Amino acid sequence: MTTPLFVNDQLAFCEIARKHHVIFYYVGYFSQNIVAAMADAVKLKLEVSGVNGPTRRKLFSSFVEMAQNIIHYSADALTPAEQVNHEIRHGSVCISENAGQYNLLCANPISTDVAEDLRQRLEALRGMTMDEIKQAYKESLRAEAHEGSKGAGLGFLTMARDSREPLEFEFWPMEQRPDVAMFYLKASI
Amino acid sequence: MENLYIAATPSSPEVNFDFAQHHLSVRGESYPENAAAFYGDIIKSLRDYLALCTDTSISMDIALAYFNSSSTKMLFNIFEALNDAQRAGNKITVNWYHDEEDDTMLEFGQELSDDFTDITFINHAV
Repeated sequence: MTTPLFVNDQLAFCEIARKHHVIFYYVGYFSQNIVAAMADAVKLKLEVSGVNGPTRRKLFSSFVEMAQNIIHYSADALTPAEQVNHEIRHGSVCISENAGQYNLLCANPISTDVAEDLRQRLEALRGMTMDEIKQAYKESLRAEAHEGSKGAGLGFLTMARDSREPLEFEFWPMEQRPDVAMFYLKASI
Repeated sequence: MENLYIAATPSSPEVNFDFAQHHLSVRGESYPENAAAFYGDIIKSLRDYLALCTDTSISMDIALAYFNSSSTKMLFNIFEALNDAQRAGNKITVNWYHDEEDDTMLEFGQELSDDFTDITFINHAV
């Protein structure tokens, strides 16, 4: 009996995930409810795996920042662009583990107008030492405390502070949509 | 003034402001979708209550296992309101609870106590 093609595809997908030590992967629409449910699963998985408290908190923190960035800033939205509450937007998050070290990766389409601003902020972060990142975090906390922003500036600093290597990022052009780029961000915990 | 109670959800903390007893607490996890919207009314109630207080001992317990970046700014605003009330002649004590292993939470508490020096700040590692 031949294995149906869809089973082969599924096996190939699982094999790639296994090789890359993927412990959590989600692609699809992100809402606050979905993020809270995923956060629960991630938290439990890390507890059951015996990961120490501080590492768990760092992973959890970066996971939430990434997932909420997708809710607020992905260029692929189910909800109208002007809607600021109960937003639902498309993206993906992946957590992989190798010998006690974790990689968090997220991806979502982003408007090219926003991309340049993100690139500059992330480049600046990559050039900083950990002491400089902590200092910038403190300054940003005080500077942003009164603004109405949803907090992306402080979000990147929060991830950079918890990452053992500088945050990595990429912008890939999307053929069908010249106004949009695919944004990838990686944190190592 | 009426007490303020908001039950916890998976992504927002329990808020229990017992204004009659001058005992306030925030506990749980804080990563609401829109922290400014979640905390906006809470901070307004807090400021309304503090404006009525004179020469009053007020305690605030903060026991947050985790808060996201936009919630940190709102915490800063809560501390600012408490600091203003202390300067207006009240006595504010903050009990800051954090996991004993968690340096980030400890450091954040220290940041707050550095900035808002009028408040009595008690650190509790649990």
